[in-house]
Amino acid sequence: MCLGIPGRITQIWDDRGTRMALVDFGGVTRTACLAYLPGATVGNYTIIHAGFALTVVDEAAAHRTLATFRELGLLADELGEQPEANEVRR
Amino acid sequence: MKYLTEFHDPELARRLLDSIAATATRRWTLMEVCGGQTHAIIRHGLDQLLADQVEFIHGPGCPVCVTPLEMIDRALAIAARPEVIFCSFGDMLRVPGSETDLFSVRARGGDVRVVYSPLDAVKLAEAHRDRQVVFFAVGFETTAPGAGGAPPRRPGGAPPPPPPPPPGPPPLGSTPRGSQVVTPNHPGLHSMNRY
Repeated sequence: MCLGIPGRITQIWDDRGTRMALVDFGGVTRTACLAYLPGATVGNYTIIHAGFALTVVDEAAAHRTLATFRELGLLADELGEQPEANEVRR
Repeated sequence: MKYLTEFHDPELARRLLDSIAATATRRWTLMEVCGGQTHAIIRHGLDQLLADQVEFIHGPGCPVCVTPLEMIDRALAIAARPEVIFCSFGDMLRVPGSETDLFSVRARGGDVRVVYSPLDAVKLAEAHRDRQVVFFAVGFETTAPGAGGAPPRRPGGAPPPPPPPPPGPPPLGSTPRGSQVVTPNHPGLHSMNRY
């Protein structure tokens, strides 16, 4: 849970008063919350941690970081499967 | 599996230490920010072995290693309750409490769900209104904004109405009917409020 991962915002929408985004991590997409990054726009690269966008980063730095994550085999670990919250039980 | 014994090799360690000593042109300051690494450094005396080349600064560690045992035990008790859906970051599942861990609670039938974000717990709460959905909000400054930002919004996005103003101060010497005076030793006030 220590790692924040850079990704590119591809979509932004409003969910009952909260700004949410679809973020592309080099092919893998996840939803993230933009509540703490009100100035973020589509196309920005941001660091995402535990579902929240923390900061906007430079695109070149983001690509280098993603490449390193992939090389170390950490990308799959950190982003994991689709969250278990989506499973239907009982 | 020999993953530990292969690294407990004094000859290999000596060669690496000599190599570091020969390579370093000045003293370096290194900070680790993982409780597991802090533990390994201290336990194996790396700070003493590398004292000439490295000044170790032990950083904060992430919530996984610094969550108190008492909190883990409370979490395990809550997670075992049948009406509860217990949501946690995945790293916490194997952290041992006094007697068991979340992984074992799940194996015995507890509804423990790994979530990537506190927002996932909110989604679960909205989907399972008949259950008590609990999010294990471990951590400190780094995770507080995420846990604090997760509570659900009202439908339509309007902010909640402000709470009614508290009643005026009671007359000296009396306690308002229906209220409780909470002192530090009150049974309802427990150590969770430290966080």
